[in-house]
Amino acid sequence: MVQAGSKKSPISKINSKAGISSLIIFVVLLLAWIAGFASRLFAVIRFESIIHEFDPWFNYRATAYMVKHGFYNFLNWFDERAWYPLGRIVGGTVYPGLMLTSGSIHYILHLLHINVHIRDICVFLAPVFSGLTAISTYFLTKELWSAGAGLFAACFIAIVPGYISRSVAGSYDNEGIAIFALQFTYFLWIKSVKTGSVFWAVAASLSYFYMVSAWGGYVFIINLIPLHVFVLLLMGRYSNRLFTSYTTFYILGLIFSMQIPLVGFQPIRTSEHMAAAGVFALMFAVGILRYLQNMMTKSEFKSLVIFGGLASAGVVFLAVVILTYAGYVAPWSGRFYSLWDTGYAKIHIPIIASVSEHQPTTWFSFFFDLHVLVATFPAGLWYVIKNINDERVFVVLYALSAVYFAGVMVRLMLTLTPVVCILSGIAFSGLLELFLREDDVYHNEDSEEEEHSTPSKRLYDKLPKEAKSKLKSGKSVGNVKTPTPQVVGRVQKMKHEQSKESDGIGPNIRSVVTVVILLLLMLFAVHCTWVTSNAYSSPSIVLASYGSDGSRQILDDFREAYFWLSQNTDDDARVMSCFSNSCCIRVGLRLSNSRNGRNRTTLVDNNTWNNSHIALVGKAMSSNETAAYEIMTALDVDYVLVIFGGVIGYSGDDINKFLWMVRIAEGEHPKDIRESDYFTEHGEFRVDSEGSPTLLNCLMYKLSYYRFGELKLDYRTPAGFDRTRNAVIGNKDFQLTYLEEAYTTEHWLVRVYRVKKPDEFNRPRIPVANRVVKSPSFVSKKSTKRKKGFHKE
Amino acid sequence: MEQFFTLPFAVLEVPHLKIKRPSWLNQPSAMAMFSIVLASYFLVTGGIIYDVIVEPPSVGSTTGEHGHSRPYVAFMPYRVNGQYIMEGLASSFLFSLGGLGFIVLDHIHTTTTPKLNRLLITAVGFICVLVSFFTTWIFMRMKLPGYLQS
Repeated sequence: MVQAGSKKSPISKINSKAGISSLIIFVVLLLAWIAGFASRLFAVIRFESIIHEFDPWFNYRATAYMVKHGFYNFLNWFDERAWYPLGRIVGGTVYPGLMLTSGSIHYILHLLHINVHIRDICVFLAPVFSGLTAISTYFLTKELWSAGAGLFAACFIAIVPGYISRSVAGSYDNEGIAIFALQFTYFLWIKSVKTGSVFWAVAASLSYFYMVSAWGGYVFIINLIPLHVFVLLLMGRYSNRLFTSYTTFYILGLIFSMQIPLVGFQPIRTSEHMAAAGVFALMFAVGILRYLQNMMTKSEFKSLVIFGGLASAGVVFLAVVILTYAGYVAPWSGRFYSLWDTGYAKIHIPIIASVSEHQPTTWFSFFFDLHVLVATFPAGLWYVIKNINDERVFVVLYALSAVYFAGVMVRLMLTLTPVVCILSGIAFSGLLELFLREDDVYHNEDSEEEEHSTPSKRLYDKLPKEAKSKLKSGKSVGNVKTPTPQVVGRVQKMKHEQSKESDGIGPNIRSVVTVVILLLLMLFAVHCTWVTSNAYSSPSIVLASYGSDGSRQILDDFREAYFWLSQNTDDDARVMSCFSNSCCIRVGLRLSNSRNGRNRTTLVDNNTWNNSHIALVGKAMSSNETAAYEIMTALDVDYVLVIFGGVIGYSGDDINKFLWMVRIAEGEHPKDIRESDYFTEHGEFRVDSEGSPTLLNCLMYKLSYYRFGELKLDYRTPAGFDRTRNAVIGNKDFQLTYLEEAYTTEHWLVRVYRVKKPDEFNRPRIPVANRVVKSPSFVSKKSTKRKKGFHKE
Repeated sequence: MEQFFTLPFAVLEVPHLKIKRPSWLNQPSAMAMFSIVLASYFLVTGGIIYDVIVEPPSVGSTTGEHGHSRPYVAFMPYRVNGQYIMEGLASSFLFSLGGLGFIVLDHIHTTTTPKLNRLLITAVGFICVLVSFFTTWIFMRMKLPGYLQS
């Protein structure tokens, strides 16, 4: 548009061009939204509209409660079914943003008399929000670079697997809406840094408030923004705009974030938030010094800076140390240490290290989640660093910190994905600008019909696939719009230089380059769809396997077991199971299988901040039957449930995760449980006859392999052959004293045991003489004749 | 006012020191920053943190058909969350190569060199991108044999 204006075109032409470009932007964003929404629906189409894993089930249950009983009752809700003997104060222990969001959508829809069940809102919330994420990514990238790059970034984030993994339909979790809030906060922050207006800073802090209410990852924002400010100060880029925006944002954000019950006083008391406060103070110090600088001579100012700087630094440092020592400021929490010192979690907090999404990332995950973007990311970073300014410093810092965190934990790949999309959008738009804009320039020079060039190019870009056409039009918009004045200047200079030479890059090279780039983008779209369909869309309560002929077999054992539980157990039955380490499904459905409308109490779920409780369950599972029975009686358990994959070769079962249970139990009860007891002399963990006796007699082993020794799976293997671990089990013939098998599903995937009551197994034997047999005191007075009955009418 | 901030110097005597700012301490140039960033990106995408924590062997070994242990299996197949050190470094090298390829492609405009050089630069850039892309593809097929099938 700028370009068009400078070319002195008639006003009508400008208007039509602006209209076309905004139409293109609108259409592309809409398509990105639709494509992103559609590609997240695999699970719903294949199975049904259900909620997937454990945490989403809990969130859903809380949401349903809130919709039914109102917000204030929800805040005071004491859920006695979770964490059985203790219960859980839900209102104070969740981030309520998710529930509030879906609850208000539900409310609005019902105001309009669109009667949607709350479950459907929960299932489709994350896909809908992915569209909003794409739009806010567009705005953020537009602020950072250009509208064309923004469209690219929006299309990327709509379908990139790294984000889809957390936002498929049915995964109703905090991250789904939090990424939107993250991107939007960053957009508003950039906007406020650029303009220096209080309005945008307030908007940023409001968006930050939403983020705090939605996800614990808000700590990332409250550390990244101060880091940005700090680096800008170091680079000597202090300005009044920066001062206004940061101070406004920090104060309002601080007050807002303290309104969330779970966060409470943390922002002023924990070390994670101290960096922001420090930068806030620094900001004022710098501001005052700069003000004084105007009023003093140079030498005076120098001595003031030296003295004042040293003194204030000492005071601040001492204050922080004393406050920490006195307990007003909590030191860094363990989870935070585990980000820096990566071995920390392994040693100190096994429960965090045991969750598989907290594992460090391998190269595979980077490529799997980002595909071609992993290579364009450095290129985008290069563009940004080459033309650095205030707001691009921000994206560089964002990229660096996110890359590091993603390397530490697989799950933090989620925070890396948006910035990778932004930078890749910049890289692609920069690249295509080079290879296509020149075309434009030549057209302008040769023929004055500049309007003609754009549509022709767009026709030339037409490609069959939807995703591609999106990306495509994104690029052509990038041509229509001029990114920044600097780039314009550069390009135009180039034009002059080139016109001196005979020829620039020939049209052949140009078209080859374009086609190859399009090919890469097409493969990216194919990869994304494949990954989404195959890796991220299984509801994980339904296992799908592929036979040799490629047919899909569905193992529905989990739902079978949960249905059995809901039909055959009392409403207040308490089921003990090992917490699930990685895929965190199991306990979930048992806890609340809302399709059956029945709830079961769960002892330990996937929530990882009640360590001693989990350790107790871990101890029960890893000790022998007698000791376990005492614990189970103490916990008042009715049923025990284990996941066993030895029959079908499912590797995520409880035996494979058993060592984590032992480790956690050892952390709390080091006298009773020792991890080394569960290994053989050679330090191996094996279940066959060479395995350690402690292992072969612990409760988990017995429950998993009860009656397994009698089972012969096929002709080639001996009886009791465990397919997951490829071994014949070591302890085949044993009986259970304190438990009895209640139910085992078709593929033995889920086994449920009932804990016997004391009178069932240790009923004392009464001598025959002392036995009292109740004689039937009631004697029917009917004689044979009168035994005929009749119906009363 | 002046007394206030010169007050400590009435007690303290400022030593006659000349502390020069070390010559190497200045704001690093943009490209120096970028090369640091790229190097760290190379390490992180190669899973160096995983290598440090889990300590896998640099290459794996397997049992051959006659029961001998056959050394040098470069890839840990079927394991999404596991890798050998060399495989991670090889892949991250390819990622960085692809990134450099894109950057080289951008250089086509910063040079005022003749047409042949432009052609060469484009060719080099594209070879980098394509080689990295397709080799990574092959790596994926080794790692996950069903990749992009079915």
